[in-house]
Amino acid sequence: MKTVMEGSHAVAEAVKLARVQVISAYPITPQTHIVERLSEYCADGSLDAKFLRVESEHSAMAALIGASSTGVRTFTATSSQGLALMHELLHWASGARLPIVMAEVNRAMAPGWNIWTDQTDSLSQRDTGWVQIYCEDGQEALDRTLQAFKLAESVNLPAMVILDAFFLSHTYEPVDIPDQAKVDEFLPPYEPKFLLDPGNPCAFNQLAPPDVYMEMRFSIQTAMESAIGVLEKIQNDFSEIFDRSYGSIEPVECDDADIILVTSGTVTSTCREVIKKLRSDGEKVGLLKISLFRPFPGEAVRKVLSRTRKVAVVDRNCSFGSGGIFAQEIRSALCNVPDHPLVYGYVAGLGGRDITPELLEDIYWQTKNTDFPELDSFWMGIREVKDGIICSGS
Amino acid sequence: MKNSNRSNMCVPLLIPRSYKTSEENKTGSWRFLRPRYLEKTAPCSSVCPVGQDIPRIQMLTVQGSFKEAWELLLSENPFPGTCGRVCFHPCESACNRLEFDEAVAIRMIERFLADTATRYELQPRLNKLAKKGKKVAIIGSGPGGLSAAYFLALLGYSCDVFESSNKPGGMLRWAIPFYRLPLKVLEEEIARIESLGVRIFCNHHVEFEKFKHLRSNYDAIFVSCGYQKGRRLNIPGEESPGVEDGLTFLRELKSDPSSPSLHGSVAVIGGGNTAIDVARSVLRCGAKPVIVYRRRKEDMRAFGEEIKMALDEGVRIEELKSPLKIEKKESGVILTLQKMKVAGIDESGRAAIEPDNTDPEIVSYDRVFVAIGTEPSEPWYVCDSCSGKDIKLYNSVMRFDGQFPVIFGGDLTTEAKTVTNAIASGKEAAMALDVLFRIGKDFVLPEISRCRVGNGLSVSMEIYLNGERKNRVSHVVSYAEINTDYFNLIPRTPQPRLLREERINSFSEIDLKISGSVAMKEAGRCFNCGICNHCDNCYLFCPEIAVKRQDSEEGGLRAINYDYCKGCGLCVVECPRNAMVLEEESA
Repeated sequence: MKTVMEGSHAVAEAVKLARVQVISAYPITPQTHIVERLSEYCADGSLDAKFLRVESEHSAMAALIGASSTGVRTFTATSSQGLALMHELLHWASGARLPIVMAEVNRAMAPGWNIWTDQTDSLSQRDTGWVQIYCEDGQEALDRTLQAFKLAESVNLPAMVILDAFFLSHTYEPVDIPDQAKVDEFLPPYEPKFLLDPGNPCAFNQLAPPDVYMEMRFSIQTAMESAIGVLEKIQNDFSEIFDRSYGSIEPVECDDADIILVTSGTVTSTCREVIKKLRSDGEKVGLLKISLFRPFPGEAVRKVLSRTRKVAVVDRNCSFGSGGIFAQEIRSALCNVPDHPLVYGYVAGLGGRDITPELLEDIYWQTKNTDFPELDSFWMGIREVKDGIICSGS
Repeated sequence: MKNSNRSNMCVPLLIPRSYKTSEENKTGSWRFLRPRYLEKTAPCSSVCPVGQDIPRIQMLTVQGSFKEAWELLLSENPFPGTCGRVCFHPCESACNRLEFDEAVAIRMIERFLADTATRYELQPRLNKLAKKGKKVAIIGSGPGGLSAAYFLALLGYSCDVFESSNKPGGMLRWAIPFYRLPLKVLEEEIARIESLGVRIFCNHHVEFEKFKHLRSNYDAIFVSCGYQKGRRLNIPGEESPGVEDGLTFLRELKSDPSSPSLHGSVAVIGGGNTAIDVARSVLRCGAKPVIVYRRRKEDMRAFGEEIKMALDEGVRIEELKSPLKIEKKESGVILTLQKMKVAGIDESGRAAIEPDNTDPEIVSYDRVFVAIGTEPSEPWYVCDSCSGKDIKLYNSVMRFDGQFPVIFGGDLTTEAKTVTNAIASGKEAAMALDVLFRIGKDFVLPEISRCRVGNGLSVSMEIYLNGERKNRVSHVVSYAEINTDYFNLIPRTPQPRLLREERINSFSEIDLKISGSVAMKEAGRCFNCGICNHCDNCYLFCPEIAVKRQDSEEGGLRAINYDYCKGCGLCVVECPRNAMVLEEESA
């Protein structure tokens, strides 16, 4: 039966259903509703987990690294500056091969202070060795959280389930909450491959000199790569039990498309409507939703995009001095394909600015009407502002 | 696309993991700085005339170890009930907490501990040493004489105290009004001293002939007969009826509990504690007291708090007025007062005064009390100059009559003439005599110096007896050396008192009791400067788990395992109370 709930609470339900054992978090908008709900579950006993209150996100992650090392299922949630504060420990969690799961609610980085959605926070952490899955709606947020635990524990890598601020975290939608029994079938208790055990004392993660370090990194890389296939299998298992299916990517009307729009997160829902309209107008347009960003499903992406002429990537993020980060990934995935399509990068909707159907249509028409992408990224809807501070050279 | 070099390769999960104990890595070899537990001196202890171990007393109080805290008080001072009421508490003025919010109410806690012991009829465990087979005569049973007797008795000497009046206690009994020090408190403290075998002979005035006689029966004499005699104004009319000595008035008031009835306007000449005590007593007897003082209010020798309470109660102070003469009239006296003016500030910070050139003021009063200071009652008591043969100590002077040792103490030798200073001199005299008898004259000064608390004039019996306190260094902990991150702002607990209306109509004690929980809360405000109170910050912060806790009953200091201590210094920085030091490792 479906229940109307916030995206944040859908994540909290998933964490409860996953029978997480240790939660540690520090509140930050727009993530707070997730851990707030979980703390209530811990307090009323409906979730038998230890909730560790800490003084910072850095400590929250440190606490989970300790907890996860003892072989228990762990969870945290954060956003923006909070995630940035965790940065050092994100590397630690993956290097220590701990399957910690985090809900990351995309929020713009300050300054200027901005609590609205923007993917730059999570994408800044792309090289930390965390699995990253971007969600489109409340149901996906719930389902992906369950999948994230299974994936993380299978490949021994931490995983982030990523939600757009407000558009997803605070929006009420009907969400199907699965039966506990079914979740237990899908996600049995965590069986750690190694753990801190006083009965068998050992030290973890001490000095690794040059003659061993590189193999450890190689082990992370191969685990990451294997995660693509593992997730595919997990998604299959998931759809058998819950009758809902997801892929690492999802192509929509791509088979005969001349132009394919690439999106992630909630923009995808808007784009689905735009595609329908353009198709009804006779435009040969398709949509590629990217859910799995790390590891990047390059092979699947190539399979979909190689056949088209132009690719328009919508990035709600920016790597300053380069451009949209999804666009970079798409370009590098395609660059060795003979006669690969042209890749048009668009930066839009930063800091929570709305990405409307009209804006997505503009992107389509601009891509169609431009023979060659002159810029690495084209910034959509930039207004001219005259009363700023004028710097020489700008 | 897959990277080529892994298609047929098994890549296991790899993390650094070691089954060797990390104890093999003796990280202590990296150290070039060495942290060490080193207890220091708290500023309160350093300025306390008797050198009380105040930070430790507060620590024990917080722990609810009231008996132990009381015994600690008794190890340095036989009069905690008295000092907990009448001491001028220089400790509170020196308290490091003063810079943070407000000083800890140290005196209030001392009184609480003493009263609690009395209330539960606790018997202290006092460490009485074996008999030494020597006898000491003590002249005067004030705080100085009785303290000397108490400590000498504990050190194994027999003591006989000779008191000229009919009851022991000196100024404690005869001068301090009941509203500040109830008789019961004093009598209990004297009884405890007597219980050690000290004999007190009252109505035994020791004049010079008697003194010479004592020499043949005792091995030493301690002279602490105080300043008994009120100083005189040396102005015309001083002998008139209606002009009386303030100290005598207090003495009469205390010997006859039914207070005399006074009326009208009463002048009290003077600016010391006696003047304040007289004025407040006069008020309680039904008259209107006016203190006439030749300098300014802020120059008065009386304790500030006493002056403030006197003013609260309705005592008037006429400052910058000096009496020129006194004349008797039919019902009362006429006082001729010269108005004075400030002519600079003297070395002690008090106003230097001179007559201003106005005409003298003539005021009539019903009675006049003179309380301008005291002096020894017999000339041979005076010990104001030291000859080369004398051993001048911090609070007392050891003089030799041939080979016979005589020590002067109390008001006769102390710089500040207070109860607590007198106690300090008695304790110091006991220690000095013990040194003299045990190891000889040449060791007196070095031994007493060894027992100094911090850099002040006080000496500690615990240090003398080689207690743990001797390991503390004399460095006085400053506010800057306290890690105030570990303390919250908490207002000082106010001393509960009788209402003004209740105060002025009786001689009932003004300061009221506090409860154990209030005392514990107040003692909890103490920084415990320089001493380890087992807060275990060092243990919690040590990254190498190199701090060892010894959970013995006595507590004791924590210890550092130098095999693993890297010398990072975290423990020293996180010690809230400067009970540690970080030193360069010796090569």
